Amino acid sequence: MNIIETHDLCKQYGNTLRVAHLDLDVPEGSIYGFLGPNGAGKSTTLKMILGLVRPTAGNIKVLGKKMDGANRLSILRQVGSLIESPSYYGHLTGEENLRIIQTLRGVPERNIREVLQIVRLDGQRGKKVAHYSLGMKQRLGLAAALLGYPKLLILDEPTNGLDPAGIQEMRELICELPGRFGMTVVVSSHLLSEIDQMADHVAIIREGELVFQDTLETLHGRSRHHLALRTTNNPVAQAILQEKSVSCREEEGYLILPILTDELAAQLTRLLAERRLGVIRLEERQKSLEDIFLELTGKAASL
Amino acid sequence: MKLLKLEFFKCRHRKILLVCAAVLAVELIWMGAFFTRQDAEDLKWGWMLLLYNLSMVDAIILPISVATLASRNCELEHKGGTWKLLETMAAPGQLYAAKLSWGALVLAVLLIIRSALFLAVGMYQGFQGVIPWGRFGLFTLISWAVSIMVYALQQGLSLRFTNQAAALVCGIAGSFLGILSMLFPPALIRCVPWGYYGLLALVDMDWDAATRITTFSWRWPEGADLILLFLWAAVFLAVGRTLFVRKEV
Repeated sequence: MNIIETHDLCKQYGNTLRVAHLDLDVPEGSIYGFLGPNGAGKSTTLKMILGLVRPTAGNIKVLGKKMDGANRLSILRQVGSLIESPSYYGHLTGEENLRIIQTLRGVPERNIREVLQIVRLDGQRGKKVAHYSLGMKQRLGLAAALLGYPKLLILDEPTNGLDPAGIQEMRELICELPGRFGMTVVVSSHLLSEIDQMADHVAIIREGELVFQDTLETLHGRSRHHLALRTTNNPVAQAILQEKSVSCREEEGYLILPILTDELAAQLTRLLAERRLGVIRLEERQKSLEDIFLELTGKAASL
Repeated sequence: MKLLKLEFFKCRHRKILLVCAAVLAVELIWMGAFFTRQDAEDLKWGWMLLLYNLSMVDAIILPISVATLASRNCELEHKGGTWKLLETMAAPGQLYAAKLSWGALVLAVLLIIRSALFLAVGMYQGFQGVIPWGRFGLFTLISWAVSIMVYALQQGLSLRFTNQAAALVCGIAGSFLGILSMLFPPALIRCVPWGYYGLLALVDMDWDAATRITTFSWRWPEGADLILLFLWAAVFLAVGRTLFVRKEV
């Protein structure tokens, strides 16, 4: 079952379609990585799912129910969220901040202590949030999102602005949520490596359009191996390869070939030598996830 | 009710009590300084003189005070970027109503204490005549109603703009216009929201240029002015609420 389904979701600002015909399917129990360069429309999409931004067109189903103005708040009782930067009252303590959420959500008071322990902030609960570091504020934001032990957690760039240790800690926290509490986590990021380490399902958007949506395994499957060959005369070598029915294309001074058996590779190099062509390079290459991301988004893996 | 209680909880350490105490102190000092300059002839007007001047002081002090209170209450949400969190748990209209109710309650308590203080001052001074309990009650109610109308305007601005300078400048301009409007013809005063503190005053002053004698008399606010006050409040509330509810966070 999909915990979130969007169909033909669009958001237009002025004349620009910031989110274009998005069909997302988030499977229940997954960690769903929502990936895209900055400005691709990730936050706008997540805000539309939470009903904070009105879609220009399309519809959204959360927990099997179609979201509208009337049932939005009742559906969101089972959804926790941390959108962009953490929300907090700096003049109040961490515990007081959570008390506000606890009152609004109508959940037991003991949840405050429990979530503070989960995010490892119980030692800092009496400190004013204005005096927290960014990492602590981010963890408090996660605690606020966890307070009602929701079925669905939506985290928008939760590691933004954190130092490497903070990123690692946040990542560990997120990864243990589905197993420990049976939550589905949607986590957005502009960093491929981050999603690669957390998610089991991935959606990639570019300029508001969905360019990939499947399991992380499928995305990895695209990172196939190939051979790169460079000779003293590539056009002649290409003709020889085609004679032998080996498909190839030229790319940046190299002929890109599919993976060949050792025997065939040996035959071909012998043949090239017989035709007086020198083999300068023959390399086995693998397309990295970054290359795939670049292909899909048209931008570098971290922007 | 839950949201209203939370407004009070959120305003802890926001020095709301200090703001209210400052309002009372300024009004007391202002009126104290005024009464010490009056001779026995002026002081015979006692309660009328007090209520007439109090409505003038209100016109100066309350617009900026109301702006400050609204700003203190709304700024904390902008500062912590809490709208995107709150609006996943409560409807924007409910949040707007809770904030307005908070302002109404704080102003009610402030103005009741203010009236009690000045009643005590009048009794201590031994003003002549019967203590005008009813007039004081009505004066408190009118001050509160006008302040709520101004609060609706200020809350609208404080919610709309993250930078509170716009709302506070409006409050300062309101204080200036509030007192200045007392010199305007009544038709023009009705066009100035802050002018209603003076327009709905319960005491009339008449200064005879020939005899140079000032006389005071009781008056009742005109029904049309009360309706206009209600209309101003309705407009500020409707516009402020609509802008807030429609704003995407």
